[in-house]
Amino acid sequence: MNHNQQSGDAKNDDDSALSDFLASLMDYTPAIPDELVEHYLAKSGFQCPDVRLIRLVAVATQKFVAEVASDALQHCKARQAAVIKDKREKQQKDKHLILTMDDLSKSLLEYGVNVQHQDYFADDPSTGRDPASREE
Amino acid sequence: MSHGDVESTRDTRKSEDQRSLSLGGPKADDFWRAVSKIAVLQICESVGYERFKESALEALTDISIGYLCDLGKNASFHANLAGRTECNLFDVTRALEDLGASHGFSGASEIGNCLVGSGTVREMVQFVDSKEEIPFAQPVPKFPVVRHRKLIPSFEHMNETPPGKHIPSWLPAFPDPHTYIHTPMWNERASDPCADKIEQARQRRKAERALLSLQQRLVCNGSTGTSASMVVDAKKGKMHEAGSNPFLVAPLQPGEKDMSQVVFPAKLSDEVSKGNHVSVLEAFASAIEAMKDGPSNELYGEKTLLPEKRPAVHFNFRTGKKLLGQSIDLSLLKKGEKRTTLFLSDEERDDKKRRAEFILRQTTEYPMELNQS
Repeated sequence: MNHNQQSGDAKNDDDSALSDFLASLMDYTPAIPDELVEHYLAKSGFQCPDVRLIRLVAVATQKFVAEVASDALQHCKARQAAVIKDKREKQQKDKHLILTMDDLSKSLLEYGVNVQHQDYFADDPSTGRDPASREE
Repeated sequence: MSHGDVESTRDTRKSEDQRSLSLGGPKADDFWRAVSKIAVLQICESVGYERFKESALEALTDISIGYLCDLGKNASFHANLAGRTECNLFDVTRALEDLGASHGFSGASEIGNCLVGSGTVREMVQFVDSKEEIPFAQPVPKFPVVRHRKLIPSFEHMNETPPGKHIPSWLPAFPDPHTYIHTPMWNERASDPCADKIEQARQRRKAERALLSLQQRLVCNGSTGTSASMVVDAKKGKMHEAGSNPFLVAPLQPGEKDMSQVVFPAKLSDEVSKGNHVSVLEAFASAIEAMKDGPSNELYGEKTLLPEKRPAVHFNFRTGKKLLGQSIDLSLLKKGEKRTTLFLSDEERDDKKRRAEFILRQTTEYPMELNQS
């Protein structure tokens, strides 16, 4: 009985939290404009007159892209830190953070998307090997 | 490892503007692709990136568009599974769980729990709370542009009855008979070719007069300071020339003129300030004079009037002064040629062509004179 009551309370909390969230979505403007999201959702067969759901999908996509980008940023910063560690006397070549295909492919691999390029030169014994087993 | 500009995902080359022109032209999708590229760029900037590689940005744009489409597909699938056509919150939540399953979210392993408390939604709430808004850089225009076509009105609309009983009245009306029936045309006006020619010549002369006066005015504007002195000198020169060469008739003799105003040597000396006004009269006078005298007189202004009968002409010009901007050039030209194309006779050229040529010469010479002076 208690268990049911507790789960009931939890549900009510979740409900209220969700409804609050949906209401707050109307104030929050996602980075992806509504027209764009509507176009692609219409293309995939998603039909919904409710604007809040459109916003929800936009926020979800924004979250996804932000996560991928931040993972790639971590890789980029790690690489720059490694460079600094090796050559402390010499100046840093690249102070700026650049989104490269390299970092992107590494971060996307965790999400199950393979965008890796084949190596152009096979000048290293480790070329063509699985990146997990490769030493950077 | 190098990545160059090759994308390893789907064929996304068509999204580039330059490449799309060579392969089938720009497509409607390119617009949305460009918009999403901007959005992805802004998101990456908010994360912390400062610069971007073009290929990496394109790849990320493709992936985010794919994610969006996958969400929509999944949500609509779940809605159809439940026997609905319109998606609701739960369909979207299930779709999010499906797509996030590979990465994992809290409560993924639990089955049978209410979707309201799903881990994905909670993560979403956290995301919205933590991140600040990134408004889109530019307003998105309405696309595709809807063009309202003008339809052909129906029989009903035109208040016509269809010509056959088998034709319903809501169909578009037939075109008007004048669009497909050819009727002969008669020229009802009686044309008088002689009168037409005279009228044409008159209008032509009018136009030429106006053009000449404009040029004279322009010349006088350019050389306002010297006009009075020039005129006075010219007058003196004329008298002298007239005395030495009786065939050099100055156009300013009052007896020959129709216009009573044209006693302009005196006028000019009095009204130095009204240079423009005087020059206009002067131009008119000289033009009328030229026309009255017929085709033998080519030159306008006070300097010269060449009779056509004289093969070689010698002019007593003052080389230092510019008499309405024409003297020097013409003297040089005359020395070289006995009968040049500049001085046309009736036998050789048409009246109209001569005038046209003269006007052209005036326009080319005057700016040069103005520059020199």
